[in-house]
Amino acid sequence: MIPQATAPTASGPIFTALPPLSLYVHLPWCVRKCPYCDFNSYEARGPLADIEYVDAVLRDLRSELPNVQGRQVQTVFIGGGTPSLFSAAAIERLLRGITAELTLVRDAEVTLEANPGAVDAERFAAFRTAGVNRLSIGIQSLRDEQLRVLGRVHDKREARRAVELARTAGFTNINLDFMYALPNDSAAGALADLAEAIELAPAHLSWYQLTLEPNTAFERRPPPLPADEVVAEIESRGRSLLASAGFVRYEISAYSQRAHPSAHNLNYWQFGDYVGVGAGAHGKITLPATQAIQRRAKTRNPRTYMETAGAPEACSAQRLTEPRAIALEFLLNALRLVEGVPQQCFAERTGLPLEAIASPRSEAIDRGWLVDDPARLQATPAGREVLNRLLELFV
Amino acid sequence: MDFSYEVSRSLAACEGALLVVDAGQGVEAQSVANCYTAIEQGLEVVPVINKIDLPTADPDRVITQIEDIIGIEATDALRISAKTGLGVEDLLERIVERIPPPRGSEEAPLQALIIDSWFDSYVGVVSLIRVMNGVVRKDSKVIVHSTQRKYAVERLGVFTPRPTEREELRAGEVGFLVAAIREIDAAPVGDTIVDAGVPNVPALPGFAKIQPRVFAGMFPVESDDYENFREALQKLALNDSSLAFEPEVSAALGFGMRCGFLGLLHMEIVQERLERHYNLSLITTAPTVVYEVKLQNGETIKVENPADLPEPHKIIEIREPIILANILVPQEYLGAVIQLCIEKRGAQKGLQYSGKQVQLEFELPLAEVVLDFFDRLKSVSRGYASFDYDFLRFEAAPLVKLDILINKDKVDAMAFIAHRDGIERKGRKIVETLKDVIPRQQFEVAIQAAIGSQIVARSTVKAYRKDVTAKLYGGDVTRKRKLLEKQKAGKKRMKQVGSVEIPQEAFLAVLQADKK
Repeated sequence: MIPQATAPTASGPIFTALPPLSLYVHLPWCVRKCPYCDFNSYEARGPLADIEYVDAVLRDLRSELPNVQGRQVQTVFIGGGTPSLFSAAAIERLLRGITAELTLVRDAEVTLEANPGAVDAERFAAFRTAGVNRLSIGIQSLRDEQLRVLGRVHDKREARRAVELARTAGFTNINLDFMYALPNDSAAGALADLAEAIELAPAHLSWYQLTLEPNTAFERRPPPLPADEVVAEIESRGRSLLASAGFVRYEISAYSQRAHPSAHNLNYWQFGDYVGVGAGAHGKITLPATQAIQRRAKTRNPRTYMETAGAPEACSAQRLTEPRAIALEFLLNALRLVEGVPQQCFAERTGLPLEAIASPRSEAIDRGWLVDDPARLQATPAGREVLNRLLELFV
Repeated sequence: MDFSYEVSRSLAACEGALLVVDAGQGVEAQSVANCYTAIEQGLEVVPVINKIDLPTADPDRVITQIEDIIGIEATDALRISAKTGLGVEDLLERIVERIPPPRGSEEAPLQALIIDSWFDSYVGVVSLIRVMNGVVRKDSKVIVHSTQRKYAVERLGVFTPRPTEREELRAGEVGFLVAAIREIDAAPVGDTIVDAGVPNVPALPGFAKIQPRVFAGMFPVESDDYENFREALQKLALNDSSLAFEPEVSAALGFGMRCGFLGLLHMEIVQERLERHYNLSLITTAPTVVYEVKLQNGETIKVENPADLPEPHKIIEIREPIILANILVPQEYLGAVIQLCIEKRGAQKGLQYSGKQVQLEFELPLAEVVLDFFDRLKSVSRGYASFDYDFLRFEAAPLVKLDILINKDKVDAMAFIAHRDGIERKGRKIVETLKDVIPRQQFEVAIQAAIGSQIVARSTVKAYRKDVTAKLYGGDVTRKRKLLEKQKAGKKRMKQVGSVEIPQEAFLAVLQADKK
């Protein structure tokens, strides 16, 4: 008898193409931990071991290479923490190491997160020389009293100065992070804040509602948040304000001037692949050989990470093969996009036929939550407002 | 009260009983009740003071208490520690000396009382029996008296406490019997097993059926589970004849069972068994009692379900069950306990001191007791008070029905009957509790409490405007997915009433209303 190739199981994913690939680098230190922040970040005590840490990240990166052989990297994002705390030399070493190990596409977007208060002109200029071409500055608010409540180390003056310094250093592609619905916030206060943010004329604005995340100081001692009606007013008037200033809302909380969406975040939301290196970093890689999506997570503690980076114990991997889980994770991302995604994107990125979600999809259309267009997977404005309920249909 | 049925049938298998009293805690109300049951059944009661190794042990005080409160001679009670073994040998001697040997004859025809039966999925029904007369042998044929059905004895044995197989059980012995009985109800507790060769032997007295006093509706969350639920109840009722049930249909909750229990604890245990051992997800309505309702047409009916209460104009009077509560409490908590009993519409009937322990008797409406009396009693006495009760009588009282309406629809499973005084306050509290436990929906949910057509309290669960995660990047995806999956699973445990999703706790809101 002739041995037959094992046919892939009918229910599991089958990948025929590979999605774009990004790289995320996590630098975990901050001057101070903010009470709302649930990222893997730590207060820096004493001199930063930035060079030592960068070397660990590069060891980590080398251990990832077998999974992404021959693939080009579209974007790099250096997040944190507060990466701008790292010396110019460390960032330069990091980017040099990355380009030595991986092939970046021409004009790849390379973002670095910065916080006002931890910046100066030379450092910004050196980051730019090292290859960073996009800055994401965590301003959050331009109201000093709110900045104190949020536990930020900067004030309004320093925030404005940070934007100025970035421009002086030659950065044109700048994102500003702002939050609304802050403790005791009023609609007038939040909208005035947003108007000032718009005046700074960034290429991109990430405008988030403050959320009390698990395992944060705010969750343990919740501050008084504004009522739903106030939040609704902030959102509707804020969005018009943004639109009239030329900002296009392309994701739940992301607004950009024409041609300046965040390519790196778009890749997440379009269910692309990404390698994650650094303490607590997550990665997602499509593995056609095993017909699975692999999710990996690195050791969270920076000290342990530096000791073990690159070794198997610093990394936990999980194979995602369950169709429902894959479909849900895809939609969790894709439906955040205002334009949604073309329907073929689902099959390509999940390895599953569109029929796998046919029945919840038609229910969502009946409820007016998904656009009734066979060519797209796209939430309606109403569906976007209740995205979690919409997604529950696909659980 | 909750275990009186178990206690009385276990005592039926014995000639004597040990009254074991904690040398530190002293006599508890349940000890009193169970000791009287033993004495009524003609058992020899041997008092024993246990835990004398504890630093807080005060055996002399406890002996005085036994004499004062229970009224049996206890001066020569043995002082032992089951933990260290101290005095246990003396106790075994005392048992031999004081407890009479079993009566009954091995030569007489077989009569064995079924004390307990349970269902084992491998061997079928297993019965715990007490052989009163004669001998039962393995491989012999026996007849279950009530059904006259014949079975071959497959296995016999005793518990040592491990099950140990035997060839025969003789008069006076207690052991287990397996006879290939497959039907759940073919070997009912209290029935008599006789020899198939000598079938014309009278049945043993068996056990008096105990009337359930507390009722609640139980409804499977998944309507597909109804059959499993019914079978599970049948299996539980096999060795718990105090558990009563009959089908109930609720407009809000669909098909379920109206179940009767001896008390609140009994109800909780049954619910726990159903959920854990039979893997059922159930919604239980707030417990209620049986009311006697005298109607204008001269009829008197029993109402076990508030939703079944006739229209007010058809009713002459509503009578509620009154109990006599026996409470034992250390002196320092007496004031708080009396206050609690008065708040629960109680009338004091007796007060007796024994050292620092006080025995308190109160007449109380059972309806007040089934809600949260036990929890409150434990909390006002820091856990020291103990409590038992007996049913006394039905008594007329100014009682009214409070309906709960959700988006203008009466939810039958949430209706309850309460005393007219303070019912508005209760209604307000229930409505407030419901407002907190019913999650926001896509539309506004109006909650109202009404007596007849009069609304006494109202509140609103506002519609959610949005439900969307503010930010999501590469690191959060799996965590967010699992969160969604968990939320969805939580919603599966909710019941759709009209178009509103209502969680299980909401049906017990009336219990919350009495707290604080």
